[in-house]
Amino acid sequence: QAPTGRRTDEWSECLTLIAANEDRAAFTRLFRHFAPLIKAFALSGSSLSAAHADELVQEVMLKVWQKAAAFNPEKAAASTWVYTIARNCRTDMFRRLQKFDTPLAAEDFTPEQEGEEPFAVLQSRRSGDRIRDLMDQLPSDQAQILAKVYMEGKSHAEAAGELDLPLGTVKSRVRLAIQKLQVHMEKQ
Amino acid sequence: MAKFHPSIDLLTEYAAGNLPLAQSACVAAHLNYCESCQRTAVQLQEAGSALFGALDPVPVGDSVLDSVLARLDEDAPLSYAQAPEADQTEVGRTPAILQRLMKGDFSELVWRKVTESLRISYLKTGDPGYEFALYHIKAGGKIPDHDHRGSEMTLVLQGGFSDANGSYHEGDFIYRAANDTHAPTALQSEDCICLAVLDAPLKFTNWKYRWMNPFLQLRAG
Ligand SMILES: [Zn+2]
Ligand SMILES: [Zn+2]
Repeated sequence: QAPTGRRTDEWSECLTLIAANEDRAAFTRLFRHFAPLIKAFALSGSSLSAAHADELVQEVMLKVWQKAAAFNPEKAAASTWVYTIARNCRTDMFRRLQKFDTPLAAEDFTPEQEGEEPFAVLQSRRSGDRIRDLMDQLPSDQAQILAKVYMEGKSHAEAAGELDLPLGTVKSRVRLAIQKLQVHMEKQ
Repeated sequence: MAKFHPSIDLLTEYAAGNLPLAQSACVAAHLNYCESCQRTAVQLQEAGSALFGALDPVPVGDSVLDSVLARLDEDAPLSYAQAPEADQTEVGRTPAILQRLMKGDFSELVWRKVTESLRISYLKTGDPGYEFALYHIKAGGKIPDHDHRGSEMTLVLQGGFSDANGSYHEGDFIYRAANDTHAPTALQSEDCICLAVLDAPLKFTNWKYRWMNPFLQLRAG
């Protein structure tokens, strides 16, 4: 790995090509990889119809195209960047479907990341890689609950209802899972 | 540096995008003051990204790709300018998400007088389940003893206040569940402005103010 910590995976390269030359071939490669994941994300928890899921795929991929220049490969993996756009677009779609009249879009809720110093950036990249590795080692009941929360978009209370578990059990399982991923936490 | 933070449960629901809009805005505003929670939120987002990458892909028809490709011409990639220098004025220090809801500084808001030392300004978030309001407490002033019929999130924006559990300063985040009674008092040194997000109206417990309870309806939306 280069000492600058620069990511050179295929998907980051595609994003860089789009930003630099409006490269449609690179966009198509990205689409073929990410669109089926975005669709799966839209359909998890079966909260959106198939038509809405396709609409979400379009919205997310258009945003990817427009915002490619804002992607910084030193800060995050391409997949995390695309996931964040997908999460925000899905939240906005839910709110649109519920006819929320709000001046805020989901991306307003993610503050601009500070801590640009190389050390912090490198650390946050490492913790991303570590979390991906540790995720594979989670016991199935903990992995299942995280999937409910993150992919199906269920609140802890909704997850408790669906799994027929007390709310306290759901909360402690989520906490345990997060602890195993070694997420840094400020003392409460 | 903030000393009081959202719990890991709240941060996880925030990172997953599952918090109600108004509560999510309050957590986002805390992150504005707190690099530590910012880092935690980024890591929690990585957890989401790992789960996203492991989903079973669902085939997407070529027609969807074609229609996206057809729309690319309307939407050329944007270029991004450098972020402007940090703005140290009152408006500049206010979390961006609140600036979007306020459109101006604190003095341009409509403040309703509740007691001699308490004024409230309601902001519109569009969330039908939660009231989202700024409280202005005069230096040394007290909010009458009250309990909560629902949950209360508080974020200190300016000055500070204290109650039986501690004293809170700029950037501190406090979450209280239903039926917790307390009587916050602003610090003597300066006026306090804080953000409060409620899902049920306050209930004053002190006899002097109890008559007001019927008037304290939730102003959500
Ligand atoms: Zn914090
Ligand atoms: Zn209170």
